[in-house]
Amino acid sequence: MTNGPLTEIESELAKLPPAVLEAYKEASPALESAFGAEELTLWAKEGLSIGTQTVRSWESAVEYYNVGPQVARFLSFPSFMQWARCGTYLAQDSPTLAVAFFKSSASIVPNLRPQYIPRWAGLGRSLYKGTWKSSTLAAKFFEVSPDLVRNLPFWDVEVFASLIEALSYKSYDVASECLILGKDVLPAMGREREPFLSMSRALIDTSWREIKTCLELVPRALQHVEEGQTGRFLKLGERLAKVGLRDTSRFLSDGTQALARVPQGSQGYILDQCETLLAVSPEAVPPFLKSLDDVLNRITVNQLDAWFQHGIGLLKDNPESGIAFFKIESNTSESMLETLSSSLELDRVKGIIKLYCRALSGSPIEVLTTQELVRKNIGWVDEDSASTDGTKVFLPPVVDHYTNKQDNFSWFKVVSTHQVAHLEFGSFEFEFDKPAAHFINRRAEMEVETEARRTQELKELEERRTILAQEMAERQATGDLEVEMQLAGQQPMVPEGQIALGPSEAFTDVGRFLHLFENRRLAFDLFTVLEDCRLDYRLSMEYPGIRAAAGRVQNESLTSRPKMQELGVQEALVELLIHMSLEQFTELPVPAEYEDAATMLAQILHELRSVLAQVEDAAEATLRAYEIISRIENETKPEEEWEEQDLEEPGDFSEEEFQDLIDKLQAGMDASGEQSDGEAYDSPEPVDYRGDFKPEMVQLLTRLQADAGEQGEGQPLTKEQLEQLLQESAELELDAEQGEIDNNMTMFAQNIMKEAGTPPPNSQPGQGYGPLLHDDDHGGELEAKEPQTYAYDEWDFRAADYKPRWCIVKEKTVEEGDLGFYNDSLKNYLTLSNHIKRQFELIMPESFRKIYRLVDGEDLDLNAALEAWCDLRMNVPPDDKIYWHRNRARRDVAVVFLLDMSASTAEAIDEGRQVVDDRDAPDDPVEYMVWLRRRREGLVRRNYKRIIDLEKESTALLINALEAIGDTYGIYGFSGYGRENVEFYVIKDINEGFSDKIKRRIDKITPLHATRMGAAIRHAISKLENQEAATKIMFLISDGRPQDRGYSREGVEKEYAVHDTHMALIEAKRKNITPFCLTVDKAGHDYLKSMCGDMGYEVLGDIWALPERLPMLYRKLTI
Amino acid sequence: MAQATVQASKEYAIEEFLVRSEPYYRVVGDELELFTAAYNQHIPVLLKGPTGCGKTRFVEYMAWKLGRPLTVVKGPRGGKKKQEVEEGEVRVPLVTIACHEDLTASDLVGRYLLDANGTRWIDGPMTRAVKAGAILYLDEVVEARKDTTVLIHPLTDHRRILPVEKTGTIIEADDRFLLCISYNPGYQSALKDLKHSTRQRFISIEFYYPPREIEAEIIARESGCNAESADALAKLGEKIRNLEDHGLQEGASTRLLIYAARLMAEGIPARRACQVAIVWTLTDEEELQRSIEEVVSSIFE
Repeated sequence: MTNGPLTEIESELAKLPPAVLEAYKEASPALESAFGAEELTLWAKEGLSIGTQTVRSWESAVEYYNVGPQVARFLSFPSFMQWARCGTYLAQDSPTLAVAFFKSSASIVPNLRPQYIPRWAGLGRSLYKGTWKSSTLAAKFFEVSPDLVRNLPFWDVEVFASLIEALSYKSYDVASECLILGKDVLPAMGREREPFLSMSRALIDTSWREIKTCLELVPRALQHVEEGQTGRFLKLGERLAKVGLRDTSRFLSDGTQALARVPQGSQGYILDQCETLLAVSPEAVPPFLKSLDDVLNRITVNQLDAWFQHGIGLLKDNPESGIAFFKIESNTSESMLETLSSSLELDRVKGIIKLYCRALSGSPIEVLTTQELVRKNIGWVDEDSASTDGTKVFLPPVVDHYTNKQDNFSWFKVVSTHQVAHLEFGSFEFEFDKPAAHFINRRAEMEVETEARRTQELKELEERRTILAQEMAERQATGDLEVEMQLAGQQPMVPEGQIALGPSEAFTDVGRFLHLFENRRLAFDLFTVLEDCRLDYRLSMEYPGIRAAAGRVQNESLTSRPKMQELGVQEALVELLIHMSLEQFTELPVPAEYEDAATMLAQILHELRSVLAQVEDAAEATLRAYEIISRIENETKPEEEWEEQDLEEPGDFSEEEFQDLIDKLQAGMDASGEQSDGEAYDSPEPVDYRGDFKPEMVQLLTRLQADAGEQGEGQPLTKEQLEQLLQESAELELDAEQGEIDNNMTMFAQNIMKEAGTPPPNSQPGQGYGPLLHDDDHGGELEAKEPQTYAYDEWDFRAADYKPRWCIVKEKTVEEGDLGFYNDSLKNYLTLSNHIKRQFELIMPESFRKIYRLVDGEDLDLNAALEAWCDLRMNVPPDDKIYWHRNRARRDVAVVFLLDMSASTAEAIDEGRQVVDDRDAPDDPVEYMVWLRRRREGLVRRNYKRIIDLEKESTALLINALEAIGDTYGIYGFSGYGRENVEFYVIKDINEGFSDKIKRRIDKITPLHATRMGAAIRHAISKLENQEAATKIMFLISDGRPQDRGYSREGVEKEYAVHDTHMALIEAKRKNITPFCLTVDKAGHDYLKSMCGDMGYEVLGDIWALPERLPMLYRKLTI
Repeated sequence: MAQATVQASKEYAIEEFLVRSEPYYRVVGDELELFTAAYNQHIPVLLKGPTGCGKTRFVEYMAWKLGRPLTVVKGPRGGKKKQEVEEGEVRVPLVTIACHEDLTASDLVGRYLLDANGTRWIDGPMTRAVKAGAILYLDEVVEARKDTTVLIHPLTDHRRILPVEKTGTIIEADDRFLLCISYNPGYQSALKDLKHSTRQRFISIEFYYPPREIEAEIIARESGCNAESADALAKLGEKIRNLEDHGLQEGASTRLLIYAARLMAEGIPARRACQVAIVWTLTDEEELQRSIEEVVSSIFE
């Protein structure tokens, strides 16, 4: 060795304990190959300087040499030397530190950027405070840092280290425990690490002992918090810590417990509330979270807000009572919870009420919230009043009139019974010409009179105009402007609409009836109260069981009625009728002057209190009541003129007496002359439980719907006509400026048309699909060029021949989604899924059971043998099938399920006819594509169930059951757009084994485009064809008729699609495959019959039954 | 002790079972004329309708109504018939067979039995009915096995014969014999159905639950409850039947309504009687139960 410096160093090293030199010698060959000679010297020299720092630093030097070769592999020489110097520096302070530093280095350098090495060393150094305890802590830090660095970004390590350092000022023991804990806990934390660290940081000053507990708690706690909310949650903890909350660990555990308790998706909402609370009073947050569990046991999350807001209010006024409120240690809080928990949400009882309404009415009524009705914007505006549009009953979303759920439920019941009564007892079946049961028909007579009067008025008006025009012409020369203005003032008096719509042209019978009256509002109010009176009486007769509840509701309505004495006489008399309709017949105040009028009104009303009274009776009664009331001035009378009357038994109504009264009133009217001292008539307060009664609107809707059904029949109503009808309707209350009304009318008209199914003008279906359109229907054959595409013929029933290679089916595998859907479905239908599985498992023993009467078998079949023996004795040829055998018929089934993935399956179930899809689709092609993509990705939010969701759930249940019996099965979905684009989605290929992959795919089944069933069926046939099973089944699950662009002849004949599908099914049958169609389309009977012919099909009346029915059908089919 | 007479059980040979006293049957349409005409013309009858709407009662009633001088077949052995006419009594035997999946042809026609002396042929109920000239009523005929329906064929056309394969004989039906089957089309599924070759041998009389007023009358008559309750029950029946197709497989039958009425006649409170006789019988589904109970509680106080 000629290398001077090295020899020198070696001899120096020899002075130190021998281990040093040994370590050096061992390492140097490896380093020699890595570094040059000069660099090697520097390395050796650095070791020497480490070794000579202090008495015990030789140990550090040994480690230094030991790890040298490993470290050198990852570092360039300059970095390497930097690292070494860090060690030297540490060795100066404490050899123990340096030893720990070097020891960890080997495993840390691969994961640490070289420039961080000094900072890392510095972190360890900063923990060292010259004491023994601190050096142990620092050494421990180096020890755990490889793990930390490997799993955390370096800056997190730094934050953590500084946390430990801060903690070490409080207690070395706690700091070192936390260090160890942190090593395991922090890496697992992910995104919430940063907020957690800053929360811990905040704890140092206030309650450092909590940190350790928090570290212990946090991994478990955060499991319950939704992803995305954890950060906010910890941030909240930090802010609480900053304001001096000591019990952070309690906060963590209480908080997570509370959050775990709330339904999915509402954690964010709870955190919002916490943040609000924090801003008002931080001390209230922990009690709030602590109580939450208890509170949510009693009320739902939706109700929580009311309780919370009240608490906030208290907190602002008086912090102490606010905190007591949130601790549920105050009466206010308790009673508020009591009320809330007794309130009843419609959603909870909707199913029951729906069936109840259906039972009473006998028609498939849907129950929806009033909000949904108002949202339709077709004329109903009151969100609190129940109503019906003839096919649906709308109820308020929540009832909290009473302090217990039962009473609130019976309120719902009374209200819905009343609404259904409109249908059951025919309020909307009013016919203008139908005679009433108790009254003489005066409607026709009135109509003639009204017409005559109006024509007369019009004529007079015309005459006046002519005269004025003449005068104007005369005076124009003289320039008299006054006349011109007078003429202009006359113009609006021409009620053009009323004249345009004569009696025969009135669109609805109710409209025609109301048209008889000058004061439509008064007439309509009378009709409403009288019809409601008739219904309530009828109900109490038909349904004695509901009398008690209805009586209570009526009494409550009575207490909130206005005082009659303060109303104008007209209004008071209407109010009088309302009182009587609510079963108050005694102590009714009436002005003495009109005593006989009141008696007459009572007589009229009593005629309706009969089971025979029809809606026409209510109309006749309206007519008479109107004649009385309209002849009375609507003036207020002084208190002393009112007398209380008992009208319990007013006597029978007689037309003669009525006529006398009218004459008398008329005389009074004539006497008082033209000038009226009364005020304009105003409608009474509505009776809330009776809701909104809009017979004209319902008749209008029904008529429009009927028109939409049979297109071309008669003259459909134009939008303008509709608008005009609405203008005149007394049912629409619009206290807005004229311009606004016009706007609203236009909007209503449009919405009503949509509701009725008539497309609004200038919207052409199919527009906006631009980008997808690229192959026309008249093209020729298509070729399957790409892999996984197949060409199929299509049946043209008019030509009675196939169109060759007409469709291209593209086979695709469904993306994999989340496992959750599959597992949740099984969980949600736990009882059902167990039941189905058990049923399926029962099939297995069925195939193991004994088969009797066989020619050969395991043993004699005694019954058969005995019979044969008898036959022999009687000289009758005996049957030779006298054996039994076990398990001869092996189950040998292959099945393919075809799921409809058309856009219509996105339709919400049970939400009426609220179609989410196609109507929401933007017209602009670019927007459409974006919208489509978003929908496919499931980004469009929804919180209702769609048909496809049920299809998916059923599939999950079925798979679960099929796995139990081991049939061969494939599950496919189909959709597509146009013949060149039939998409065939593989969810489980028939030969594919069952795995998590398939569970994941189910999650990703989404509604797509159209349904070209024929091609899909043909492709499914090809899947089944090659199976060797004895029984082959194809199960088609759809939600409507087949349809697609160009899947019709000349674009009009819908039968084309049905026939093609039929043909495809026949093809299946020819190939020994049993097809079965299951549809959830209630209108399915008409086309399924021709589509399936003699093949099996079923129309599922109740879509909710799908998950249950599907496996049952399958089982029946295959036994 | 009340003076009620206690009916002791009695035993009849099946073809001797007669409907001795007039069963209560409320005629709704022209079913009486139709059945009588068919009987006179030897046309087999198919009774369609949901469960408990009165099909069986109707057949009983017709058996009583169509009776003539009572005929009793003496001795089980076929071939020679000894007839005995008791004057004054007018009755026709009624043989009812409830069909089930395991009902085989030999269960109907008869079979050989071994005894100490060798073998002995025993006539099945169908054979006995054919010989005795009874109304043979096969209840729920779709439930029977396919081979039994084939037996029906020669009996139901112009031949009116029953070939007994085992004994190598053919029995010509008594002139008064009539085959009558019942069938409940309520199960919508196409999985179980009568074959057309079978169906088309019958005239079909359709039954449905009677209209409200008539049903009320029936309920009152059958149960002895007051007219008001009977009325309410009929109303309830009508309302519940509205729920068919909305989750309920079949509506409340007249029979069930009568059960409820009987309980009420015994003093059980109306709501409770309806609950046990109707609500819980009809469905196990909770929501449906609640809905029906709400209807019940609306109708009954």
